[in-house]
Amino acid sequence: MSAILQTQKLRVEYRTRELRQPVKIALTGLDLEVRAGEVFGFLGPNGAGKTTTMNVLLGFVPPTSGAASLFGIDVRQPIARQRIGYLPEMTYYYKFLSAEELLRFYAKIFGLARAEADRRIDQLLKLVELESARKRPIKSYSKGMQQRVGLAQALLNNPDLLILDEPTSGLDPLGRMKVREIIQRLKNEGKTVFFSSHELGEVETICDRVAIVHQGDLKAVGTVAEISAGHPNLEQAFLKIVGFQSAHAS
Amino acid sequence: MNKIFALTGVVIKELYRRKDFYVLFVLTAVLTLAAGAVNFFHDEKIVRYVKDICLLLIWISSLVIAIVTTARQIPAEREARTIFPLLAKPVSRGQVIAGKFLGCWLATGMALVVFYFFFAVITGSKEQSWPVLTYFQAAWMQWLLLGIVIALVLLGSIYFAAPSSTSTISFVVVISILLVGSHLHVIALQQPEPMQTVLTFVYYIMPHLEWFYLSDFVVYDFGHVPLLKIIAATLYAAVWTGILLLLAWLGFRRKNLTT
Amino acid sequence: MKISPFTVLLTLLALAFTLALGLAQDAAGWSQRGKSGNVLGMMFGDGRKLLANQFFTMADVYFHSGYYPSIFDNKAGQEDEPKAIVAATRGHEGHDHETGDKKCEKCEECGSFLGQPKDWIDAFGRNFKIAQHTHLEHGKEREMLPWLRLAADLDPQKIDTYTVGAFYLRNHLKHVNQAEAFLREGLRNNPDSCEILFELGRLYRESSHDLDRARNVWELGVRKFLARSPAEQKENRLVFEELVVNLGHLEDEAGNYGQAINWFHAAQKVSPNPAVLQKQIDEIQKKLAALLPVGPAKLY
Repeated sequence: MSAILQTQKLRVEYRTRELRQPVKIALTGLDLEVRAGEVFGFLGPNGAGKTTTMNVLLGFVPPTSGAASLFGIDVRQPIARQRIGYLPEMTYYYKFLSAEELLRFYAKIFGLARAEADRRIDQLLKLVELESARKRPIKSYSKGMQQRVGLAQALLNNPDLLILDEPTSGLDPLGRMKVREIIQRLKNEGKTVFFSSHELGEVETICDRVAIVHQGDLKAVGTVAEISAGHPNLEQAFLKIVGFQSAHAS
Repeated sequence: MNKIFALTGVVIKELYRRKDFYVLFVLTAVLTLAAGAVNFFHDEKIVRYVKDICLLLIWISSLVIAIVTTARQIPAEREARTIFPLLAKPVSRGQVIAGKFLGCWLATGMALVVFYFFFAVITGSKEQSWPVLTYFQAAWMQWLLLGIVIALVLLGSIYFAAPSSTSTISFVVVISILLVGSHLHVIALQQPEPMQTVLTFVYYIMPHLEWFYLSDFVVYDFGHVPLLKIIAATLYAAVWTGILLLLAWLGFRRKNLTT
Repeated sequence: MKISPFTVLLTLLALAFTLALGLAQDAAGWSQRGKSGNVLGMMFGDGRKLLANQFFTMADVYFHSGYYPSIFDNKAGQEDEPKAIVAATRGHEGHDHETGDKKCEKCEECGSFLGQPKDWIDAFGRNFKIAQHTHLEHGKEREMLPWLRLAADLDPQKIDTYTVGAFYLRNHLKHVNQAEAFLREGLRNNPDSCEILFELGRLYRESSHDLDRARNVWELGVRKFLARSPAEQKENRLVFEELVVNLGHLEDEAGNYGQAINWFHAAQKVSPNPAVLQKQIDEIQKKLAALLPVGPAKLY
């Protein structure tokens, strides 16, 4: 299977504004590969470099060295993002636009024809159950509604690769189930899903492969079974890999 | 271009859904009507002071709309983090800059049309004449100036995180150029070195916004500027706008948006 | 002990009311601005004089249709007062603005400040500013009136506002009644002003053709002038000369030649051109001589 998402010796350094402070290294040379059609979990404790990796893939942060590509195209090219959908952890959309206007705006960015855009928008608003609120400004939406708008815009261009940042964070059990269903459906359609999460239970259930990063380093990559081998579950394996010493262990 | 126009549309929607324009228009209208209602020596034909006051208010309002709207664009997107879902789409940072510029410029252009239409109605009702060409030239030149100002503010907003600092600095720079710009070389001659050299240098490299102020032609019924001069001024404005937008793009394209 | 917020509010209100009553009398003397009966005076305080000067300058700017030096164009040593608009009411040596020339060719000293373009930026920029020296005419002088009205409201003690305003109202716009009312207002605010009395007299003589009223007003002006201190008289000789010369012409026109000669003699004492006035006196003396009998009657 070909690599949809690839990083090669990806290194990201942040220069702090304080004097005499060392440069902060967020990624030390990450080599990562996500194949077409798989659901890939990207795990790590807070500050491990997960968000930095996503920021580089999405073009928000330039890499210090190394390379990253989507569908074989360097991530610095805007066209690399033509076939991806991105759902941020927090919902950040124009409050003065309605859901329909927002989706129509993004449809123009993707270059969708008017008729196709109309069809997709109707379909997605139905999927995320926002049909009745489509004309209201987003500032009048609840948090859950705003997250559903986020999901709709991530799926607008029928993406081949979906990048999700903590997709179930802050969702109630019903919301989490819906997200899992959507991910499963996308997988059945042959799409690729790349997401970061702290919900290891969910990761165990839906992911084909996972990668664990810690302090900017890739510590482990493989199927859930491979990584959990020798441990009761993925969580214990994760804790062992990141070097967490339980109080009970001593 | 469709992506740029899409961004333009969002900026224009934002302007007319915020209250800024309406407040300024109502203020301009009320002050102009109040000024026009005053009776001086029982002479109903006095009109120039109304034109003067109205045009001054139009200039102030259009500068406020242009600077405040533009200063907010990039910083507000970064603060509200709406820049991330946007840049996660297949749109380049240059297109974002172009779209923001075009949106702000067209939005202020539409505001100018409304202002000048109001101006024409008020003054025409007193003067019974409409020098359309002169009005058009004044509006066109003002719009060109606003283009340069918007590009300048966009550039500033890349480097200054807070919209308030960008707005304040932009106002100071623009008002200074309008008031003092054409006299800077005279002022320079009266200064000791090295200030003389500095001021002369600034005089030659700064955009001469005072060229675009044609209100006097409207107020004093001075006819219109020759077409070739207007075309030359338009090219000058286009060059300056291009330079400032290019600098804005250069500053924005490699900027780490997560800090 | 729990105190109700309403109790606190009532206490504060009572305290504020008591303080206001107690301080009211004293507070009246704290600010001169509060005593002004004029709204603009109350708003701006002493700053109104600066604003009045600015508005008077605006009237001059309007008179020149925008062709006006900025503070950067004004050369050192130039008078603060706008020259042209004041000079226009009296003309200046060798040139009379009342002929209403559209292009004031002889008035280079009034405001040709641009000079040659200093560089290409200056040269190109002149296409977008008013670079032609013109004066308002054919009724368009009315456009100056709002600024003169505002200047008068802000600084009622500024004499030139009334004299200039009345001049244009009377001479150019033919609003004689408005001009008289404006001058009368100026006189109420400046009862000792010889300049306003002079202008009022001109109005009666030239527009109303009422020689008696003109005489009364000008003679009052002369008395006011003579009541001034020697230092003030020395400073304002021009207005005295104008008063007595015009009185001289008036008496000449009325046929009171003796009185006319007296006035011209008085003018000679202060005039820089006594020889010119002497010619006037000589002509009147000829007229006077023509009226006297030729010689003693022959007895037969």
